[in-house]
Amino acid sequence: MTLLNGLLPPYIESIAITVGIYIIMALGLNLITGVTGQLSLGHAAYMSIGAYASAVVSLQLGMPFIFALLAGGIAAGFFGLIIGYPTLRLTGDYLAIATLGFGEIVKSLLFNMPIVGGAMGLAGIPFKSTLTVTLIVVIIVIWMMVRVERSRFGRALLAIREDDIAAECYGINTSLYKVKMFVLGTFIAGIGGALWAHKIMVLQPRDFGFMKSIEILNMVVLGGLGSIPGTVLGAIVLTSIPEVLRFSSDYRMLLYGALLVIMMRFRPNGLLGGVDVTKLVKKSIKSITGSNFADKEKKKVKGGN
Amino acid sequence: MIKSRKIFWVLSILLILSLTLVGCGGQKEEPAPKEEVKKEAKAPAALKIGFLGDLTGDTAMYGQNTLDGMKMAVEDINAAGGVLGSNFEIVEADHRYDKAEAANIVQKFVNSDKVIAVIGDPTTGITKATAPIINQGSVVQISAGATGPGVVEIGPFIFRNTLLDTVGGPTTMDYLVNELGWKKVALITAVNNDFSVGLSKIFKEGILNNGGEVVIEESVQDGDTDFSGQVSNIKKSGAEVIVFSGYYTEGGLIMKEVRKQGMNEIIMVGGDGLQAPTFWELGGSAVEGSVSYAGFSPEQPTPEVEKFIERFKAKYGKAPDLFHAQGYDAVMLVAEAIKNANSADPKVFKDALAKIQDYPGVSGNTSFDANREPIKSPVYLLQVKDGNWSLLKKVPVKK
Repeated sequence: MTLLNGLLPPYIESIAITVGIYIIMALGLNLITGVTGQLSLGHAAYMSIGAYASAVVSLQLGMPFIFALLAGGIAAGFFGLIIGYPTLRLTGDYLAIATLGFGEIVKSLLFNMPIVGGAMGLAGIPFKSTLTVTLIVVIIVIWMMVRVERSRFGRALLAIREDDIAAECYGINTSLYKVKMFVLGTFIAGIGGALWAHKIMVLQPRDFGFMKSIEILNMVVLGGLGSIPGTVLGAIVLTSIPEVLRFSSDYRMLLYGALLVIMMRFRPNGLLGGVDVTKLVKKSIKSITGSNFADKEKKKVKGGN
Repeated sequence: MIKSRKIFWVLSILLILSLTLVGCGGQKEEPAPKEEVKKEAKAPAALKIGFLGDLTGDTAMYGQNTLDGMKMAVEDINAAGGVLGSNFEIVEADHRYDKAEAANIVQKFVNSDKVIAVIGDPTTGITKATAPIINQGSVVQISAGATGPGVVEIGPFIFRNTLLDTVGGPTTMDYLVNELGWKKVALITAVNNDFSVGLSKIFKEGILNNGGEVVIEESVQDGDTDFSGQVSNIKKSGAEVIVFSGYYTEGGLIMKEVRKQGMNEIIMVGGDGLQAPTFWELGGSAVEGSVSYAGFSPEQPTPEVEKFIERFKAKYGKAPDLFHAQGYDAVMLVAEAIKNANSADPKVFKDALAKIQDYPGVSGNTSFDANREPIKSPVYLLQVKDGNWSLLKKVPVKK
């Protein structure tokens, strides 16, 4: 499991792991907000549930990391089910407010639970989220997301996003699909949280506030709602830009903000919003090689903007 | 047409990204050899000190002040000819109060910049998140501000230079119960603030050990603005004094509510979390007479400290505060340890640092005990008078 570890300079490796964790988190939210169109402002809450659950499994039970990782995902998914079942009947702004409220509740609970250290948080979590582990999880999550998007389930979700009444008319049980989707999205957030806990080694409730949810939402929106490559790109860009801009010290966050504004001005649908990357790759291969071997697969996957 | 425009966009963005990445990759490698060539001709390469702190986030004031203090210390050291013939140089990086970013930064400090010591972070949480990485990289870390538990236990390279809650808290409670003679105490904790939760435990122990009594315990939250419920409970309890372990904003507002409910005599005693002008800006006349402890006060200085304060005022145009003084001392402690060890290798000078006793710093006398915990003396008890802190008493700390 140490295939890639140590290959890069530690500074770059550390950033790469952070980027990987944000990719996972953003892909989970992309399923909820991008693919299905359900605006969730409480994604950091599921991340914190996953992080704390996995930390407790690691610290109290001393179990191997794979169990901690799964425990994080399952705990977050479980809460996703409990919260998703009633709230996903809401739409639009109402759902956003309900998820926002849930995020605050989780934070307050963590502040007041002595078993997870209250405001002092948990410390001494072992470092397990190596680059190799993170990369493997990232690849699995991307693969899962691609499979979901191309399945009947994924298309049903797209249909719900475009028009849930029409989708219902076609025989899609929208409530059931939404809850299933939400559990999957929060499960992935929990996995991301578990990786986070074993990378940062210290957990405090204040790390999982409203701003963390917005940060993740930013990645999805900037990358392109509903686009998997876009979400990955958004996470990479938004996580690495603050480091890339470090040379400008005092003006760093100013430049960061300006870049965000510029990007949204010129790409209002996100960097890769409405771009079908598989098609794009095939087309460029075609134009380079002149052959048309890529033509036979004509899967139209993407919905409109 | 549309397709080709899309391709153009994607390609151009990828190109820009790759250029910035390549540019930065190159930037890191290029200047280093140049500097070395330059320095080799003149003097040995500068010893790098990393500043770890927040310059733009929630705790920016702590970070900025620590950095200002450090800069002055480095100027002083370099003006005196450096340490072992080498100058000090600060490498700074802002982490926006974000643990993930702080973890990346210390990797950069330890592995790319090859610093010999990291000064920071002023908060306990980020210090704990970065200390394992720094310790593993065999670099000395001195946090000038992490007062909570569980910091130096992380490893032999981890130090802190600050008045610990476990030193300041009991000293203050001793004064409160034995000298001021208040036995019935109301204790208020901000439960969503790690600093407050930790300090409340210490306060409570201090009160009980000195024969006082906690007649009522109330909890508030950071960010609350209405404290009428808690205050009316305190009024009923017959407490003689309010002990609050949280921050200045809530402290000021609580005292306003206390006066509003007609308790005109009772004062608030708190930790160094009350140390900000906001306390009396919000509380006004209600906080007059309130007491807090601190590791530094510009009043009644020793001659050395007076010189520091004068030079600081000349440089920055204001009086130094606790974080300025601690940041200054942290750099000076590193220099002192390097001199004592006659080596700038962190593996060697960390032992000399642990042995420092009674170092006369500007933030008080500093000694490290057997567990590498700092003992700083004296503790300053300060009282609000006419909208400013004035010195109530200097209490020497027993080792």
